[in-house]
Amino acid sequence: MSADQDTTSDLGIGFFGNMTASISHEIKNALAIVNENAGLLGDLALLMDKGRPLSAERLTTIAGNIRRQVQRADDIIRRLNRFAHSAHEPATRIDLREVLAFTVALAERLATMKGITLVLAAGEPVSLVIRPFVLENLLWLCLQRLFVAAGSGGTVELATEAKDGCALVRLRCGSGTQVGPVAAEAARLGQSLLAELQTEIDTDADQGELLLRLPAPACS
Amino acid sequence: MRVLLVDDEQELVATLAERLEMRGIEATWASDSNTALERVRQERFDIALLDVKLPNMNGLELKRLIEAECPWMKFIFLTGHGSDEDFVACSAESGCDYYLIKPVQLDVLMGKLNEIFKGSGGPP
Repeated sequence: MSADQDTTSDLGIGFFGNMTASISHEIKNALAIVNENAGLLGDLALLMDKGRPLSAERLTTIAGNIRRQVQRADDIIRRLNRFAHSAHEPATRIDLREVLAFTVALAERLATMKGITLVLAAGEPVSLVIRPFVLENLLWLCLQRLFVAAGSGGTVELATEAKDGCALVRLRCGSGTQVGPVAAEAARLGQSLLAELQTEIDTDADQGELLLRLPAPACS
Repeated sequence: MRVLLVDDEQELVATLAERLEMRGIEATWASDSNTALERVRQERFDIALLDVKLPNMNGLELKRLIEAECPWMKFIFLTGHGSDEDFVACSAESGCDYYLIKPVQLDVLMGKLNEIFKGSGGPP
């Protein structure tokens, strides 16, 4: 690795920063909606004092809105907690598809901001031993570049596959997307992550796919 | 005073618009940039409250597009964090009239709307 290439730790700090900043925005939004609904209740109470009738149905709707946002914030904080703990988690047996699902949940807001839809394809569980945080980091590094290649309005589909005793992750943008330069840049910038995961990057240009091939010894 | 609220959190802008209406302000909302641009082409607004982080286009870009069509309009930015680097870029480059940090304090927003509206000379 040359001196200008980031180590796994350097990349990990950047990844952690991207994700926690995005998560904090999501929490702020949920709190802002709770705040407006609480304010609306106060406004309606003042109007009721002045003789304007207030229906039970209206109150129920507002209470439901608050409850839904509290649940949303709770889900976001659970995700944050899991993400924070994964940063120091050692290599462990994971279901690859489940790590992809978690990465989609982490990246969804940032994808939406770029006008990209993330889709997790149906598939069988693929079990392997790996550091989940490093894999999440590699996936995010690839996704960031695929968002640019796919462009606003595009879709990136994530799929897993067990093939010839090893695990494949397919990141599919669709035909017409130039995935070659994405793979080259991801390989250059993510060299330390690929080395730690013993993973190779490949492409299927016809399908507009970026392929991550995790080696046979890591798969079950 | 006519105000356009733009944030991709639809429930946030819809509720905020209702609360402003209760205070005598005509408020309309949009949850994406394209709808916001349609609104300003259809109706005349005095002030827009724009989320800094919008899908596809940030608040600064949307402000520039609205300004090109409605040069009289004033702008308030809405940001999740006061230290947000996007907001710093927005305020330095475009001279937005004010910014608010989520969650919005309605009395602060009302004060700022009135101040900006009076400063702009009120209705044309």
